[in-house]
Amino acid sequence: MFRSNNVAARIFERQISSPAPGTSVHCARRFYENIVPSHTIYDIECPDILFRKFSDDGNYLVTFSRNHQDLVVYRPTWLSFSCREDDCLNRDLPSKASKFESFFTQLYCVTLAASGELICKDFFLYSEKNQFGIFATSTAQIHDAPAVGGAIQGIPSIEKITFHLVRLEDGVILDERVFCNDYINLAHSMGVFLYDDLVAIVSLRYQRIHILQIRDSGNLVDVRSIGEYCREDDELFLNSSSQGMSIPDRNTAQNIGNGLESIHHMPETSFLSGLKQRLLSFILRGIWNEEHDPTSRMQCLKKKFYFHFQDYADLVIWKVQFLDRHHLLIKFGSVDGGVARNTDNHPAFFAVYNMETTEIISFYQNSAEDLYTLFELFCDHFHSSSKNSFYMNFLSTHSNNIYALEQLKCNKTKASSCQQFVKKMLATLPFNCQSQSPSPYFDHSLFRYDEKLISATDRHRQSTDHPIKFILRRQPNTLKFKIKPGPESGNSDTRTKKISSFLFHPILPLAISVQQTLFLQPAVVNIHFRR
Amino acid sequence: MLGSWPSLDPHNFSQFKPNDPSNPSKMTPVTYNPTHDRTLSPPDQVIVPEEKNILLRHFYQQAEEKLQMGAKRALSDNPTPERASKLPRASASDNV
Repeated sequence: MFRSNNVAARIFERQISSPAPGTSVHCARRFYENIVPSHTIYDIECPDILFRKFSDDGNYLVTFSRNHQDLVVYRPTWLSFSCREDDCLNRDLPSKASKFESFFTQLYCVTLAASGELICKDFFLYSEKNQFGIFATSTAQIHDAPAVGGAIQGIPSIEKITFHLVRLEDGVILDERVFCNDYINLAHSMGVFLYDDLVAIVSLRYQRIHILQIRDSGNLVDVRSIGEYCREDDELFLNSSSQGMSIPDRNTAQNIGNGLESIHHMPETSFLSGLKQRLLSFILRGIWNEEHDPTSRMQCLKKKFYFHFQDYADLVIWKVQFLDRHHLLIKFGSVDGGVARNTDNHPAFFAVYNMETTEIISFYQNSAEDLYTLFELFCDHFHSSSKNSFYMNFLSTHSNNIYALEQLKCNKTKASSCQQFVKKMLATLPFNCQSQSPSPYFDHSLFRYDEKLISATDRHRQSTDHPIKFILRRQPNTLKFKIKPGPESGNSDTRTKKISSFLFHPILPLAISVQQTLFLQPAVVNIHFRR
Repeated sequence: MLGSWPSLDPHNFSQFKPNDPSNPSKMTPVTYNPTHDRTLSPPDQVIVPEEKNILLRHFYQQAEEKLQMGAKRALSDNPTPERASKLPRASASDNV
């Protein structure tokens, strides 16, 4: 069956035949092969803002003011102008085309950060159902903070972190949640995961996972806090039993720990946290089940569990993601790796935890082949997207796209050792929330492009002077469009390192590329669109 | 509507009666009636989608397999403890 590349022929084809079952979105997406952002307006005059991203439904462009205090939201519109000449299509664009305001209309500018605070420019989570956005502001980081009040030694502290829930339609701040003297990894939303209406916030300093719910009314409601306690009534139970215990043992209780604030508060030194207990007992039971002869069982336990007991007990939660409404994928590691940028050399473990039954379902090391097999087969399910976000279900991964799978297999054969490759792949888990752009131009079935220069992942990349080519995946494999960041004539100064970031609109053939140097020079912003 | 169209044989469509809105069609949709009862579903069967997604099902399955492997190894390694545990049930084994 030969498919024409002509857009009129394709439209006619769409009128007369229905797509194969379950492929209606994929068939509709093929039109993006014909409608591409091929025209570039270089170095557009834009206000002094830091671009974050387009919201996943394409309704808003989220930016921050340069002083990291305000949120500025734009509505993407389209360039419109009138032309009285005969040959309008071949004319140059009018001068207003090189203005940012022709493409985007400012909706509002809202101050989020109080004095002394800064907005985290890499943090933005979007709830498509209600068009709510979550932003984070924080005060400065304090390194070498003393470990008081249940905090872990070695994790820095931030005096105040505030999460703001903003209705993007009009900029009204609906609710806030403040964390004091805590540390939450805000860069690229690493420490927070949004699934449907549930938000998981990982407090690295106190080793807790706070689960919040976003109500339709715009309130943030606490659901549970996992870490020290697993079930909602654990704290009540422990406190009531400690009250009964502490009266005859008052003297010994006061002598035990310096973290003891009152008789009713359980001393931290006596119990491991609830989650840690679940984890250790899971590991123990797993090793217990392997051997049945009592002597060899004890040998096995000594070698595999008790020898490493302190290492297991010292594990800290690094990162968390939802697998569905009840299950979390938790990454554990050593304390030093929690805040390190490069965690390749640190040992890491993954656990699947059911929040309802408070059970650990499985536990893997970061070099586990069986976890890698699941990652290779079901990568889509790790990018857990809720039913509400439609376009996020069509991200191109190696589990749903044969070209991406070929690329992965190619990388696997080129890798020096299988175990290193597995570790490298599993290091990407748990995924950062909403870090992939849903734009169809990143669909591997439609276009071939250099993943090192540009990809659906929302990260700054090293900028090159050459334009980034998007080539049709199907016959006739022609070059469809190019994205060139930076000024049209190229950079005069080739020595300074430049980084680019790309914002693709999820639906329209519209993209913004921002090229910055590491010094405080103004960024060069280009707009790529279909003329 | 179909009755008045030209056709090769005038007797075609002669028995056709156009839809009369006052007399609703008594046609029942085609249903499958099983010819045997080997594969009859229970009368109170309700089909619902699986709650857990496939990834979670695999996690649970792997955990189950590890448990079962351990249990199988227990059966193959140590037959004697099983017999020892059957001793208190001497009255039941007498009947066998």
